[in-house]
Amino acid sequence: MLKPSIPSFWAVLPFLILFLFLLPVLIVLFSLFSGYSENWAHLYNYVLVDYISNTLYLIIGVSLTSLLIGTISAWIVTNYDFFGKRFLEWALILPLATPPYILAYTFTGFFDAYGTANNIIREIFSLDQSFILFPNIRNIYGAIVVFSFTLYPYIYLVSRAAFLNQSRSILEAGRMLGLNQYEIFYKLSLPIIRPAVIGGLMLVIMETISDFGAVDHFAIQTFTTGVFRTWHGMYDLTTAMQLASILLIFVATFVWIEKTSRKKALYTSGSSTFKPAKKIKLIKMKAVIAFFICFIPILIGFILPITELTKWAINYNLTFFDEKFLQAAMNTILLAVAAGILCASIALIINFSIRFNKNRFSNFLSSFLSLGYAVPGLILAVGIVQLFALIDKNIFINTDIILTGSLIGLIFAYVIKSYALANSTFESGFQRISFHLDDSARTLNSSGWNLLSRVHFPLLKTSFLTSILLVTSEVVKELPATLILRPFNFDTLAVSTYIYAAEERMFQAAAPAIAIMLVGLIPIILLTKMISSSRPMDK
Amino acid sequence: MTALVIKNLYHAYENKNYVLKDINLSIDSGEIVSILGPSGCGKTTLLRVIAGLEDQSAGTIKINGKIVSNKKFMLPPEKRCTGLVVQDKALFPHLSVLNNVMFGIQKNKGKHTLAINYLELFKVEKLANKFPHEISGGEQQRVALARAMAPHPDILLLDEPFSALDQNLKNKLYQETKKIFKEKGLTVLIVSHDKNEAELLSDKLIYIKEGKISHLEINNQLSY
Repeated sequence: MLKPSIPSFWAVLPFLILFLFLLPVLIVLFSLFSGYSENWAHLYNYVLVDYISNTLYLIIGVSLTSLLIGTISAWIVTNYDFFGKRFLEWALILPLATPPYILAYTFTGFFDAYGTANNIIREIFSLDQSFILFPNIRNIYGAIVVFSFTLYPYIYLVSRAAFLNQSRSILEAGRMLGLNQYEIFYKLSLPIIRPAVIGGLMLVIMETISDFGAVDHFAIQTFTTGVFRTWHGMYDLTTAMQLASILLIFVATFVWIEKTSRKKALYTSGSSTFKPAKKIKLIKMKAVIAFFICFIPILIGFILPITELTKWAINYNLTFFDEKFLQAAMNTILLAVAAGILCASIALIINFSIRFNKNRFSNFLSSFLSLGYAVPGLILAVGIVQLFALIDKNIFINTDIILTGSLIGLIFAYVIKSYALANSTFESGFQRISFHLDDSARTLNSSGWNLLSRVHFPLLKTSFLTSILLVTSEVVKELPATLILRPFNFDTLAVSTYIYAAEERMFQAAAPAIAIMLVGLIPIILLTKMISSSRPMDK
Repeated sequence: MTALVIKNLYHAYENKNYVLKDINLSIDSGEIVSILGPSGCGKTTLLRVIAGLEDQSAGTIKINGKIVSNKKFMLPPEKRCTGLVVQDKALFPHLSVLNNVMFGIQKNKGKHTLAINYLELFKVEKLANKFPHEISGGEQQRVALARAMAPHPDILLLDEPFSALDQNLKNKLYQETKKIFKEKGLTVLIVSHDKNEAELLSDKLIYIKEGKISHLEINNQLSY
């Protein structure tokens, strides 16, 4: 075999996949250099400022609120000991199972003029039907609450990990220098964990600006609703792509900040004499206050929506399993499992290929391939539609439309969006396999597919299953890409929930929404297990 | 016949500092040779370059008269017909002892019998159906040696194979393995930091210092 010969299949494969992943995004970006229509002029003159200002208001509001909830709750459960702390530690992640659009639907149902909250008040105080205590929440403030209480776990998770890794000696030094508990929190602990928290915050921001379901339900004009309306209302795909490009530039900025902050985030104490912070025992009123500060986010982000949805389902005579629901559930399972298996297989092959062909591009490739998680589903959908239209028009000239409107586009979008989840599972899985096994196998005539199938795959079965589970639970929640790319009359649980909610048929939306939340619990259970085994001294 | 010839071999990681410099070496068939030297001197790298696990910067390697790598050509490890045993044994944890030994045997016919023969040779045939985590460190070492020898390699490369074992077990294994190597007429290259071990096992001792061969001993006599 000549040394500088043609690169092997394993060396080329990651670049090929990267190219495929990038294509839809590049197509969207290239739209910036095509002609601008009258619709663009209309958007530019009348609504673009609203899109930008509303998006910025959302970013600022959600950032501040979720920062407060995430860091304070993490600080309390890490540094204090009180009744219910063990439960709160993991329960604070539960709102991750609630997609923002589902909390938005249940919020409106709960706080609307004739919703549960106002009805309870009227019943208790025997008030007139015209009495309304809770204000209208279908506005930007309502959206900020919805996003903050569903997305704060991203900040909670990184803050808690960072607080757990803060050495007791640093905090004790602060005490010796005259700082009280609160000063230690904001003068010592917070600055130390700041890079980690910024990483979590960027995830919150990216999720917020990618959302379509919640802002659409609250009728807030943002980039995502704008892209959707330009395309489905004005039937102008080019302008929709141009609008999506601006959103993409926003996202790219936050991805860059997230990556930079991650580099600076030193989670672990460099000292080998690490001593975990000593927990302070809280009693009486202080314990009650601590409990409620941590319990309220769980109440709003998880208990309230699941209770309200269950109530709706019961009101709908518990006909959960009507034909439509079953069909949507079947479609969802089919799509999610297909995307899960495909995503896990690609991640397995790519990680193997990178391991097999170690070079200076390996790390760059791995992290670049994972960037799909940051691209809003709506942008991916727009790019894929355009890509498939081009292929259908130029390659399948003599046949009917093959790719456009098929399930392939949907699965393609899911794979790009969820690849990071599968990749991180395999990265840690491969790290646990000694390179000596590869060396031994290679001297025993095993290489390439043979090595992958006989050595690595059997050792990575758990990673494979975990990847499928994580991707599946993510796909089940995905709304905007599904809404755009699904074949005609093909409903999933997320689409059913959206359509019912859009038609204000909340009772019918309950069953698919509950199913989505239950599936969303899978990664939380996995995450809880990982957290409990993260520090031996915590067991 | 000469089993291994290395001429003017150089190796540098990512083209920076040379770890191996102008290595020239020749090992006859059936010879057992130990490479000795301080940590970081390049012993393991030399073994890895011979196995094809690392690419050399310059020089030529011939195994049984056939060029396996030079400036333009590089035969991948799976095609070099070498066997490798490393310090941590690297047994495949998902495979039984028998399947570990059968792993590298190419021919399908008689694969099972051949593997059993090698297990018998190292007196571990009773462990055939056990998994690596169910057997002791010494037994794992025997299985690793059986696995590396079963495909009949042209040259066996051992990287500090006994360093994780206690002294009593080591002494027992030195005698047994040397006897097996000699009976089978195997060419063996051992990397070691233990001079006593090297003297007990080998016909020839090669000393490496800062990436260069400093001197060579045959039967405890200084050669150059």
